[in-house]
Amino acid sequence: MKSLLASLIILFAAGGQAQAQLDDPEQEARAQDLMREIRCVACENEPISNSGSDIAADMRERVRTMVADGMSDQEIRDWFAERYGEFVLFRPSADGPGGWLLWGAPFVFLVLGGGLVLFLRSRRDRGADGTVQPVDPEEAGSP
Amino acid sequence: MIEAGHFAAFLALVFCGLQAGFGLRGDRVRTGLFALLGFAAMGFAFFTLLWAFARTDFSVELVAAHSHTLKPFGYKIAGTWGNHEGSMALWCLVGLGFGAAGAWLMKSDRPTFEARALGVQGLLSLGALAYLLFASSPFTRLDPAPLQGQGLNPLLQDPALAIHPPMLYLGYVGYSFVFALAAAGLIEGRIDRQWAKTARSWALAAFVPLTLGIALGSYWAYYELGWGGWWFWDPVENASLMPWLIGAALMHSIIVTEKRGSFSAWTALLAVLAFCFSMLGAFLVRSGVLTSVHSFAVDPLRGSLLLIGLLVFGGAALLLFALRAPKLSGGPPWTATSREGALMGNNLVLTVATFTVLLGTLFPLIAEALGQTVSVGEPYFNLTFTPIMALALVALPVVQAWAWGRAELSSLWKWAAGFAGIVVLFWLAGIGPLNIPLLAGIGLALGVWLIFGAAQEIWRRAKTVSRLPKMPMRVWGMTLAHAGLGIFVVGAVLQTSGRMQTTLALQEGETQPVAGWQVRLENVSSIEGPNWYAERATLTATRGGARTELQPQKRYYPAARMPTTETAIHKTGMGDLYVALGDGRRNETGETRWTFEVFHNPLIDFIYLGVALIGIGAGLSMFGKRTRTKDQQA
Repeated sequence: MKSLLASLIILFAAGGQAQAQLDDPEQEARAQDLMREIRCVACENEPISNSGSDIAADMRERVRTMVADGMSDQEIRDWFAERYGEFVLFRPSADGPGGWLLWGAPFVFLVLGGGLVLFLRSRRDRGADGTVQPVDPEEAGSP
Repeated sequence: MIEAGHFAAFLALVFCGLQAGFGLRGDRVRTGLFALLGFAAMGFAFFTLLWAFARTDFSVELVAAHSHTLKPFGYKIAGTWGNHEGSMALWCLVGLGFGAAGAWLMKSDRPTFEARALGVQGLLSLGALAYLLFASSPFTRLDPAPLQGQGLNPLLQDPALAIHPPMLYLGYVGYSFVFALAAAGLIEGRIDRQWAKTARSWALAAFVPLTLGIALGSYWAYYELGWGGWWFWDPVENASLMPWLIGAALMHSIIVTEKRGSFSAWTALLAVLAFCFSMLGAFLVRSGVLTSVHSFAVDPLRGSLLLIGLLVFGGAALLLFALRAPKLSGGPPWTATSREGALMGNNLVLTVATFTVLLGTLFPLIAEALGQTVSVGEPYFNLTFTPIMALALVALPVVQAWAWGRAELSSLWKWAAGFAGIVVLFWLAGIGPLNIPLLAGIGLALGVWLIFGAAQEIWRRAKTVSRLPKMPMRVWGMTLAHAGLGIFVVGAVLQTSGRMQTTLALQEGETQPVAGWQVRLENVSSIEGPNWYAERATLTATRGGARTELQPQKRYYPAARMPTTETAIHKTGMGDLYVALGDGRRNETGETRWTFEVFHNPLIDFIYLGVALIGIGAGLSMFGKRTRTKDQQA
């Protein structure tokens, strides 16, 4: 009788384990990455990977189920965005003018800034390039 | 007692006014005197607050709202700045402290300039004090005094978080003095080599505590929040990162102004911006315009007053800059491939990175104004901020050897080959024994590249082993900071790509494998602290012959009606085994099963070691031997 009970507990334990974690480590890693990008709808600015709330636990389980069902990362993101709104994704979409601004601006500024620096310098030192001599850094007091 | 403090704070306000008045007129002696008097008065005012908290005097409203008789003494003291009013008092104290330190330490042959800088600092302190006294006074009495206080936010009852705010404020407010120096320099139209020499020490004096303060905050978030991570790209974290990035840019740009007299307008602009971003951070954190997991003391009205302060001071400084910048003289000409060009590239990257953090932080607000709700988080910053910063990190070891004016480029191919070699090595190791993704391999290569680059640079300067100890502190400081950056990159890459999170559900006596360890739950017991009670799980983890005991807790603070997690961390030298206790749930058979979030974080200490080295390196580089007289004549 005792051993039967013990095996029952082990069965339960195995069940609990399977629910908490996917067996395939690669799938589990993918699921965990997704959980860091999906926002818990009941909390302040927390991904579901961190949140202790019940809804976050449900959402985590949903992610694992979907990964196990073979859905792609994008399909899973789209599913959550459709269900809870764009708000739920910490990786906002790059569509529309807002998306272009958000994703493009850093790189545009990098290029424009670099161009501006070179332009200002060449305007100030027009024709000086050929005459600039290297300075021994030790002499000028490095660094 | 608190009334005396209130009076002293008003006295400090008056002294600040006099400091500003005499300062802007150029009277160095009187300005310095009032700066010292102002600091002394504010010091006393702050002491009365500390005293009220130390004695748990509930007739002071602030103490009643944020303290509790059962709280440990250390946290009673730290509670002084663990709230909005008290932290603003600390802000004022630090601001006046920098003014007094400036009055004490500045001994150049330009008294008018010094007086003006102290005068501007007086104006900034005047604004902060007026805000403290008229919009968020900590000196209010409460009558009748309650018998018990409401307690401090339990999350703040932690050693790291007790000293985190003072460190951070030394940085934020330290930049107010850099701002004052820039404003005074702009008023005189002299942002020259001598100005840079003075301002550089102060910029470093702000950068070092800011770096350490951010690191402390990050470490606190790591072990206290129970999420297993060290940076969450949360608005409050970003608010401290922005002035740090601008401060890092300033620290490099100011070298060019000091050594060559170039970049003077740009350096002045950065000096102004560093403090503007500090104020912006205070505004974002305090106004509650952004949702954050760790925002506290939120009040929209006070927030808008901070915004007005930011617009007035920032706007005035930028106007002054626009008027005077065209008149500032430049240094000798330089080509793109020179040390000037390299440092300009560094500044470009750091500024664009700051802008990216700002955009990502504010974008949800902009979108909300347009009727959309959007979240911007870790994936966004990983895909924008990280590659942009990586550009600068790849270039750093190569370009730091470049000479002023025009660099010798003949050895460039060696560097390119060296970098390609390291990347290929880590790529091969990545697909082979290390089994890590390609990007992580490149990231690791980058970290090693930086450490190698730092070592190579000091070797290039010293040339022989015997000369290494004789290298100036400045060079050692730079080497340590750059090596620290590399160590940080290695830690960050490994932690991000190699972290493992597992949720365990265990009954007492049950064992499960996780991350190579066998984890067994021994028991869960109830314990009690001075002002909390907790459930404490005792786990034993074994791996090979190694065995360790972990005791994570879930605490409950009745005074604040708030639970906190106390994680248990076992350091193996190669990484952290990190356990946070979750809930206990009874299942169908009546057995209680406890959930645990278990993390394995490889080499996470490298992150903190790296950042600490950056801070220490920046600190060391303050103490250079005096530059030769030849430089001072310039």
